[in-house]
Amino acid sequence: MCIGTIKGCEKKLIMSFLSLVVKNPFRNKTRSALAIVGISIGIIVIVALGMVTGGLENSTQSTLKAGAAEITVIQTGSSSFGSGGSLNESLAASLLNISGVKDTAGILRATNTSTTVATTTSNSSSGGFGAEGGVSVTGIDANKLSLIGVDTINGTAFTNTSTNQVIMGTTIAQSLNKTVGDTIDLYGKNFTITGTYETGNFITDAGIMMPLSTLQNLTNNQNKISDVLVKVTDNANVTTVSQSIENAYPNQLSTTTAADEANRINQGLSFINTASWAISLLAIFIGAVGVINTMIMSVYERTREIGVLKAVGWRDRRILGMILGESIVLTLLAFVIGTIVAVVGVELILTLSPSVGGIIKPSFAYDIFLRAFVVAFLVGVIGGLYPAYRASRLSPTEALRYE
Amino acid sequence: MNNNENIIEIKGLKKSYDNGKIKALNGMDLEVKRGEFISIMGPSGSGKSSLLNMIGALDRADEGSIKVAGIDLMKTKKLYEFRSKEIGFVFQMHNLIPNLSVLENVQIPMFETKTSSKDMKKRALELLKAVNLEDKINQKPTRLSGGERQRVAIARALVNHPSIILADEPTGSLDSKTGEVILNLLKDLHSKENVTLVMVTHEPYVGKMAERIVTVLDGKCQNIIQSSQAG
Ligand SMILES: Nc1ncnc2c1ncn2[C@@H]1O[C@H](COP(=O)(O)OP(=O)(O)OP(=O)(O)O)[C@@H](O)[C@H]1O
Ligand SMILES: [Mg+2]
Repeated sequence: MCIGTIKGCEKKLIMSFLSLVVKNPFRNKTRSALAIVGISIGIIVIVALGMVTGGLENSTQSTLKAGAAEITVIQTGSSSFGSGGSLNESLAASLLNISGVKDTAGILRATNTSTTVATTTSNSSSGGFGAEGGVSVTGIDANKLSLIGVDTINGTAFTNTSTNQVIMGTTIAQSLNKTVGDTIDLYGKNFTITGTYETGNFITDAGIMMPLSTLQNLTNNQNKISDVLVKVTDNANVTTVSQSIENAYPNQLSTTTAADEANRINQGLSFINTASWAISLLAIFIGAVGVINTMIMSVYERTREIGVLKAVGWRDRRILGMILGESIVLTLLAFVIGTIVAVVGVELILTLSPSVGGIIKPSFAYDIFLRAFVVAFLVGVIGGLYPAYRASRLSPTEALRYE
Repeated sequence: MNNNENIIEIKGLKKSYDNGKIKALNGMDLEVKRGEFISIMGPSGSGKSSLLNMIGALDRADEGSIKVAGIDLMKTKKLYEFRSKEIGFVFQMHNLIPNLSVLENVQIPMFETKTSSKDMKKRALELLKAVNLEDKINQKPTRLSGGERQRVAIARALVNHPSIILADEPTGSLDSKTGEVILNLLKDLHSKENVTLVMVTHEPYVGKMAERIVTVLDGKCQNIIQSSQAG
């Protein structure tokens, strides 16, 4: 009966069968919409958490950066990212004497309390990743910027003697809507932004840098620094060098290596990852239950119709395929809707809330979306399998007698 | 084609439900010739629908023998293929799929055949024309009258060129005037498409249109009356 090639005919047949599969879920719009909402929530969770944790992961990877210091030295007992000056400035030069040390930079980390950002977030104690909720400001000599990971500057660096020049990380620049040449209010003084930088590290990129001496004066930390950044020589072992530093200043200095730090952040991330998987699984489970329920109801209502399809010669396989297909149509629709809502939602939250947006750069890695797609597809298969099986096994006479 | 050949041969067919408590068919014998139009009558619960279900291979009998269109239905494993090729059902209720258009509804049985979508449409249109619905092909069944729906169901039953149409009270839910139109259509198409027509009905006047009336009582064929109209 088919005039074209068998293959061509089958293709066309599959097309009309598919159009039926796509149409059927819309017969009961409310019920299908509810099922789609359920699964969409799961997809939103997966995509949104994926974008955020993916963004944080990208950032940790770039903390291990060639050219930047491998070791951070702080005073024993102070918090890992020292804030305020607790070490003497001369220490940076002294550490150069330790074997394996190639270069050092004394830096002062402080938190500004008077920018627009700070005023909106200083009241919230949790305030994100920046130190203590304000904008983190680092004092460093311009010629040492590469040690903190700032290799290229869009614009120019500040000059060490200036008292009104800063450079700014791209993420905070974006959230404050500032560019090179603009001014910013820090510690009650006006600063000109001479350049912006992007290191890939979410903490660094959410901060501002100025000359060490300027920050020391502004914060009353004359001749004081909070950390020393240490770059080791090319053939030196980072662990050995950091051990030598601690040995040279027992009970005074502690060291952290960039690798340690990355590890610590990775541990945190793997916890977030596990948590987001658990949340996703729960969402998927709820979604799957919704799909099973929707499809069972749909099969139940269409009992007679399924009897008719069997009477006109439809194979059990085709009926199974139809119901399963309908279930997958539901979940793939939820994938599309959920993904759009997640992407728009994450972007919206990050732009509307500069304190968060200044720190997190969402990831758009394709595997986040692939994962959500696979999950949606599997929920469709799992949720549809039992109802489809039941439909395919209905006895035609029983189905036709069904009122 | 040999017109004296039996297309349906049933001997001593038994079917019971509820663990043998209900004997729907209790030693049924029936022979139907190819191209014949027979009417099956009998009281409610006598086993008429059960008989039709057996002929249409919707269910398997417990005992006896049943051969339809040369296929032994007690043995064959390909029931769906048999139904798809040989049988067209018309039920009391039209049983159309509400979200599909009239045209799509008629095409539904062709999904299991290797028909191209072009040929599917051609055949469906041909039949919809034959049942006088060519102007309603894109409507949804919910917007059709009962008689129109039943006409779509008849087109659907014929679409795969079956050798037998099994109609279970096809006019049962229609008023008598509409019922008559449907009956005439069925009778007409049965001869035009050269298909055997087996029709269950409660109404004597409907039965009289057939070439032969078979009365079923307690799961058996009681008597076979040659219809007065039969030529
Ligand atoms: N699937 C089934 N399960 C249980 N009992 C059944 C089943 N199918 C038919 N029966 C019983 O078998 C008997 C014959 O039923 P059938 O439907 O064949 O009668 P019928 O002659 O078509 O009646 P009616 O004129 O009311 O349609 C009835 O007692 C019915 O209840
Ligand atoms: Mg009946």
